[in-house]
Amino acid sequence: MKRSALTNPYILILPGVLLAGFIVIWPLVQITEIAVSEVNRFGQLRGFAGLENFVAVVTDPAFLGACWRTFIWTVAIVVGSIAVSMPVALILNEDFHGRGIARIIMMLPWAVSLTMTAIIWRWALNGESGMLNSALKALGVIDTNIQWLAQSSTAFPMQIMIGILVTMPFTTTIFLGGLSSIPDDLNEAAQLEGASPWQVFREITLPLMRPFLNIAVVMNTIYVFNSFPIIWATTQGGPANSTDILVTHLYKVGFRFGKLGDAAALSLMMFAALLVLTLIYVRLAMREDKS
Amino acid sequence: MKMPTRTAASALALILGTAGFAAAEDVRVTVAEYSSLTGPYFEEAAAAFEEQNPDIDIQIEVVPWDVLLQKLTTDISGNANADLSIIGTRWLLDFVDSGIAAPLDEFMDDEFKGRFFEAFLSPSMMDGKTYGLPVAASARAMYYNKDLFEQAGIETPPKTWEELSAAAEKIAALGDETYGFGLQGKEIETDVYFYYGFWSNGGELIEEDGTSGLDTQAAYDAAAMYKSMIDSGLTQPGVTSYSREDVQNLFKQGRVGMMITAPFLATQIANEVPDLNYGVTAIPSGPDGARGTYGVTDSIIMFENSEHKEAAWKFLDTLFSQEWRSRFTGGEGFLPVQGAVADEPAFADNEVLKEFTNLLPDARFAPVIPGWEEIADITSSAIQTIYLGEGEIEPTLNDAAARINDILK
Amino acid sequence: MTRKMRRTIWSWLALSPLIVLILFPFAVMFITAVKPAEEALQSTWWPSTFQWSNFIKMWGNTNFGPALFNSVYVAVASTLLAMVVSVPAAYGLSRYRFKGRGAVQQFLLVSQMLSPIVLVIGLFRLVAWLGLLDSVESVIFVYAAFAVAFSVWMLQSYFSTIPADLEEAAWIEGASPWQALIRVFLPLALPAMTVTAIFSFINAWNEFVIALTMLRSQESYTLPIQIFSLVAGRYTIEWELVMAATLVATVPVAVLFAWLQRYLIRGLALGAVK
Repeated sequence: MKRSALTNPYILILPGVLLAGFIVIWPLVQITEIAVSEVNRFGQLRGFAGLENFVAVVTDPAFLGACWRTFIWTVAIVVGSIAVSMPVALILNEDFHGRGIARIIMMLPWAVSLTMTAIIWRWALNGESGMLNSALKALGVIDTNIQWLAQSSTAFPMQIMIGILVTMPFTTTIFLGGLSSIPDDLNEAAQLEGASPWQVFREITLPLMRPFLNIAVVMNTIYVFNSFPIIWATTQGGPANSTDILVTHLYKVGFRFGKLGDAAALSLMMFAALLVLTLIYVRLAMREDKS
Repeated sequence: MKMPTRTAASALALILGTAGFAAAEDVRVTVAEYSSLTGPYFEEAAAAFEEQNPDIDIQIEVVPWDVLLQKLTTDISGNANADLSIIGTRWLLDFVDSGIAAPLDEFMDDEFKGRFFEAFLSPSMMDGKTYGLPVAASARAMYYNKDLFEQAGIETPPKTWEELSAAAEKIAALGDETYGFGLQGKEIETDVYFYYGFWSNGGELIEEDGTSGLDTQAAYDAAAMYKSMIDSGLTQPGVTSYSREDVQNLFKQGRVGMMITAPFLATQIANEVPDLNYGVTAIPSGPDGARGTYGVTDSIIMFENSEHKEAAWKFLDTLFSQEWRSRFTGGEGFLPVQGAVADEPAFADNEVLKEFTNLLPDARFAPVIPGWEEIADITSSAIQTIYLGEGEIEPTLNDAAARINDILK
Repeated sequence: MTRKMRRTIWSWLALSPLIVLILFPFAVMFITAVKPAEEALQSTWWPSTFQWSNFIKMWGNTNFGPALFNSVYVAVASTLLAMVVSVPAAYGLSRYRFKGRGAVQQFLLVSQMLSPIVLVIGLFRLVAWLGLLDSVESVIFVYAAFAVAFSVWMLQSYFSTIPADLEEAAWIEGASPWQALIRVFLPLALPAMTVTAIFSFINAWNEFVIALTMLRSQESYTLPIQIFSLVAGRYTIEWELVMAATLVATVPVAVLFAWLQRYLIRGLALGAVK
């Protein structure tokens, strides 16, 4: 084999690892330092605090609620988007008239920045001026305006719905990539042998889709867990913190109340939680792959 | 475009060998964006100032209000703050306590001090020192829709909360699409909307013993009063989804009879719906005649770590001249903070503004305590819980008071 | 043909609820954007007249042009930077088994778990320390770094599907590794790289929190920040202008998608040749 920079993997990976490492590790060290320090209102360090900041985070009455909702939020959107994207990808993988257009439409939510999507929905969900209410009224679904964002029982499901809608394009793209890697003859052979479409899906498609499903679960969990704009732009976690998830809680603690020590501690805890969850999932997925 | 003058000036400075003038001084100014006019106004003021002071270069950084505090926090924590900044005066104590705001007294002479109304300058004075200059001031008053009042057969605007309730009932009876009293229940100043009723009942945010006043009878009564208005359909439905702007929008559409807000609504109405027939009156009083409006000022502070204090001060001196104050106050719809500006016909003959200035003796400013934003958030949450009917009034408020007391300790 | 026709009908029918849901915000955006200001607050669907001048007004009032330029610049530059460092890394990870490979892979996965919000205080200090505050370049730098982890991950899994025998065959025929890479590998990898680049472009185009923290003057604002500043804490919100701005901000990306769409599909198909 000829020697070249191309055959030395260390040289190949060095720039990428340096760039990512610099941007991730340096700030992480900073945050760790803040988390164990006494910090004034403006993030200036004023001595060692031990675990005080962590205790303050956990004893905050809003913390447990935010944890629980983060769990619901993440699971609902990750599962929901997979449940929506799988059939969409299966349909888009078939050959039909206007498939190109259908694919473009399915990708559209992606073309709008998340912040803007959230702003549009905030406007559309407005109780009196919002166009969702006027549309539903015109269709005869409702008689009186629903104040969507007034209480968490309507606001939170709406936010989850928006979350699924914006997560769908990415998930569908991943799945489409997976589906196109499955040779057509495999499906055809199975069909010739008399397998029903459901059987083909369960016995052939799904197992082959496993790695792509895993990518979707891991990536979406990370993104959704950390997703900020949808909730912030529609309700800011209100009313009465009833739509707060950890990220919006973090933002309030850090930047509105100026408790940067608590915020740094919370950041680390969130990071740790995500790390543990993802590693467990990756382990499980790998074990399944091997068996 | 400005370059030639600046280069010429620095060249001149070099020739003269005056070290102090050798380089243009950069003064960075963080300003809050009140409306689409804010940025252009400050850019213009900076340009005019630079014309007069070619050795100083003003950089304006316009920041949306919602993220101003966040930006200042990160800036200061990263040691990258500007030289001057607009802040909410209610945050000032935190800035002073941490040694971030510089006292301005050494720059101020009596003439400069005399430009301001005492009432607006005093909130930014602490321990006898002045830490901020009031840049934007407003108070709250009640707007009412004259046409709706006429249709409902109400002759005079309500003077007490009881009368307000009665008026709201008549207006709400006009139709499904009109509501009596616009009640804000979301985002910034949700707590303040509650304080109007709270103050009228004789409440105090911070009691004399330094604890929260939310666990007093005045707070219970105010909450009960608002809640009963919600329950009997006198307010717009779903109050917890209405931010201040949302309620204002309803008012502009002529769909709520009354709402309490700041002078800037009048400016917006003049621009957007000039035909709206409305009046402005005092905030209703409580059973014992007590009343209170919310006085709020934003201040410009100078940072202690600024290396260009002299130059920054020069810019402040220009900014607080009558000409520039008058343009800002008129453009944004704030109250004049300077006597000379208030005497200008545009302000002195303005009926709406008069209503607001008349209320100033009753004005209460946010108390000078640390952690104001967190206290406001706790209060807002408690009130939202009550509005939603998810908590009993007394326990909810007592709980909030206990949490606030923890912060005040 | 009839079979395809039937499939067409069923497919569109099955997708229709989702299509309605997807197009709904666009309809809201468009209709509000062309409403006269006094009608914007009314919940009627159709405006009495189409007020196209909203777009002109929006362009003048909202500093839209520079923000659009910044957004494009940031998204393109950060994507290029990310690709330049990710492609070799992904190539190395997919072609060679070496000591520390697992560690690198784990590091990349872990670094994706840090949301910008979680890191923002630290990132801000880093950028302030480098003296890069308020420069669009600092944002490019950070976006690129965040994109690296994801891109390497994606590219690596695509690259693994391109058989190494092809390059080895080229080596045997006397080609240098570089020639083999350029003539044999890159053409096969290009579609996958395009797809990855699109992901990274979109993330940069949409990013909010970092831009909000790092950029402080209107000249350096990107579109999401510029539009957010139209609704955040202003004393009045001119919804028709906000929606006009979002619409104009969305169209370029939507067009880009439509244009890249064929390429995207081919990329997904080719990238997975086994």
